[in-house]
Amino acid sequence: MTARTRILSAIRTALGPGKPPAQIAAEAAALLDDPDAARPRLAAPSLPDAFAQKATALGTSIDRVASLAEVPRAMARYLDAHGLPPRFAMQPAPELAALDWSGLAPYPGIAPDEPAALGLALHGIAESGSLVIHSGPENPILMAFLPLHHVVLLREATLLPYLEDYAARLSAETVPRNAILITGPSGTTDIEGSYVRGAHGPGFLHVILIAEPG
Amino acid sequence: MSALPDFKNRARAALADPVLKVAIDRTTGNAERKRAAAVAAFPEFEAARARGKAIKDHVTAHLDHYLELFERNATARGAQVHWAADDAEARAIVTRICLAADAKLVTRAKSMLGEEIGLPHALADAGIERVETDLAEHIIQLAGEAPSHIIWPAMHRTREQVAELFKAGHQPPPAAEDPATMVQSARRVLRQKFLSADIGISGANFLVADTGATCTVTNEGNAELTTTPPRIHIVTAGIEKLVPSTAHAFALLRLLVRSATGGEMTQYTTFHAGPGRPGDADGPEEMHIVLVDNGRTKMLANEFREMLRCIRCGACMNHCVVYRQIGGHAYGGTYPGPMGSVLTPVLDGLAASRDLPNACTMNGRCAEVCPVGIPLPTLLRAWRRRSWREGLEPGSLRAGIGIWAQLARRPRLYRLATRIGLPLMRLFGKGGWIARLPLAGGWTAHRDLPRPPARSFMDQYRARQKGRK
Repeated sequence: MTARTRILSAIRTALGPGKPPAQIAAEAAALLDDPDAARPRLAAPSLPDAFAQKATALGTSIDRVASLAEVPRAMARYLDAHGLPPRFAMQPAPELAALDWSGLAPYPGIAPDEPAALGLALHGIAESGSLVIHSGPENPILMAFLPLHHVVLLREATLLPYLEDYAARLSAETVPRNAILITGPSGTTDIEGSYVRGAHGPGFLHVILIAEPG
Repeated sequence: MSALPDFKNRARAALADPVLKVAIDRTTGNAERKRAAAVAAFPEFEAARARGKAIKDHVTAHLDHYLELFERNATARGAQVHWAADDAEARAIVTRICLAADAKLVTRAKSMLGEEIGLPHALADAGIERVETDLAEHIIQLAGEAPSHIIWPAMHRTREQVAELFKAGHQPPPAAEDPATMVQSARRVLRQKFLSADIGISGANFLVADTGATCTVTNEGNAELTTTPPRIHIVTAGIEKLVPSTAHAFALLRLLVRSATGGEMTQYTTFHAGPGRPGDADGPEEMHIVLVDNGRTKMLANEFREMLRCIRCGACMNHCVVYRQIGGHAYGGTYPGPMGSVLTPVLDGLAASRDLPNACTMNGRCAEVCPVGIPLPTLLRAWRRRSWREGLEPGSLRAGIGIWAQLARRPRLYRLATRIGLPLMRLFGKGGWIARLPLAGGWTAHRDLPRPPARSFMDQYRARQKGRK
């Protein structure tokens, strides 16, 4: 008998006869009824404010700009403020490549000790100040983990109120190889519980929040 | 990992170690304060806890259904699902995958299930270099130790001790002994390993049935660095980790993070669904998921079923007066503290671990803080009952309780005995306390006993009743 058969038969012996899958699914869905009763309130009435408040509290810095066209200037501001060179790694996404980068030197690819990288978030989550990133042809996951400074573009229009609102968009058909919620810069409390930033991932997380509707 | 029988000796050694006490206090004290603040800032916590408990109970009640659903969806995403009935089978599966791939270097993101099945030793025996990437696991790998806590595996080490380990184990050694400099040093050393590993091994906090994804939470970002660059990603996970959907995982995540570290979300919550897709910029070529039973189906069938709700947050040990005195290593099993004292007899047998359920004051704090409402003291009492029934308690204890039972069944004799005993006990009292008492040295060696009143409760009660008439 295979381990699979042994495990499943031990479970069935312990549990007795099972219910039809449709009934199990209905019971599972009912467990999440009235989500507001069991989740925290948003930090502010508007989604961008709520997101910004949560993200800032976790050590993420935020620059709010009006339009995508302002992103190169916002990036230059950030690099300058942190004494970083104008050359940085950039996610190979057409909408980023289309911007006017004169004066800066974005390049595709990422070095193991990359000082700074710029990428796009698919969503922001207002409840927790989290950024959502999905792997894909135009989105190398390592770009969010190798750099010391991770700069992320986020459109206000893509903000979701709660974690459940993001979950509702994931199904077996839409789930990417790797979906990541990033909530603040990398950190550790492994030495005596004292908090240190930049454990393995980025020590700095900066969000350029774009107001213009995508 | 198996629990050695001499728990008492280990506990005695731990109690005599003043450095250990400092290290435990620093981390558990922080954890307790931060958890309290996080719960206070979340007025819906009680409702969330009831929901979390109901979700876990629902999954347990339909575990076969969810395992098959998960297997189907994970397979459809290209992952290879393996089943292991016990720790030996799980070790064999992982080792076989590593050897078939001719792997020389394996990076591992912290997983207690990996510790439970003895993966570190199995990889060493197979001649494979294993690099622990979680900072705390890196510390204890340098020290050649096992984890002493399920969230902070190196919490028994002070910063001074970590500095010694890094000085010896890092090339070049860290420039200073403050945590920030030491973390930077580990970042530099481990980065080279991440990018040259053949295989990355992680655990899972949740297995999401309807997407076939595994979910892992970290604060350091080591999980993604472990699972993205290598050619093969292996996940080892207990079969109790299933949840129906991503939304159910989030409901539990709100409880897990607040209870574990006092944060609201971990910095990285990562879902893996199969290997890299055609055209993906990065990601492994193969993903393997090993579903491990190792005693869990037995718990489903006996009085320890509620323990399958455990989401491994560590709050029970942070709030345990015994854990906070002796630390995790004294327990001797993979899992320490209250949850460990329930699980270790399942994993290592009660005969080897009967002291653990007794190392509990029954103050109930673990159950109060458990985010999924596991009645830990009740489960510990269940082990005590079993230990008694199976005749594992020592003869002296059995004889003592036998004598007491004889007395307790004969009320007159019992009252007579207390009438004789009370004045005798009072002879040893000074002020309100007894500092030393024959036959009770085990108690009075560490604390005083209150000096009893001259007359028993029953005698006083009777006298008062008479006075009223």
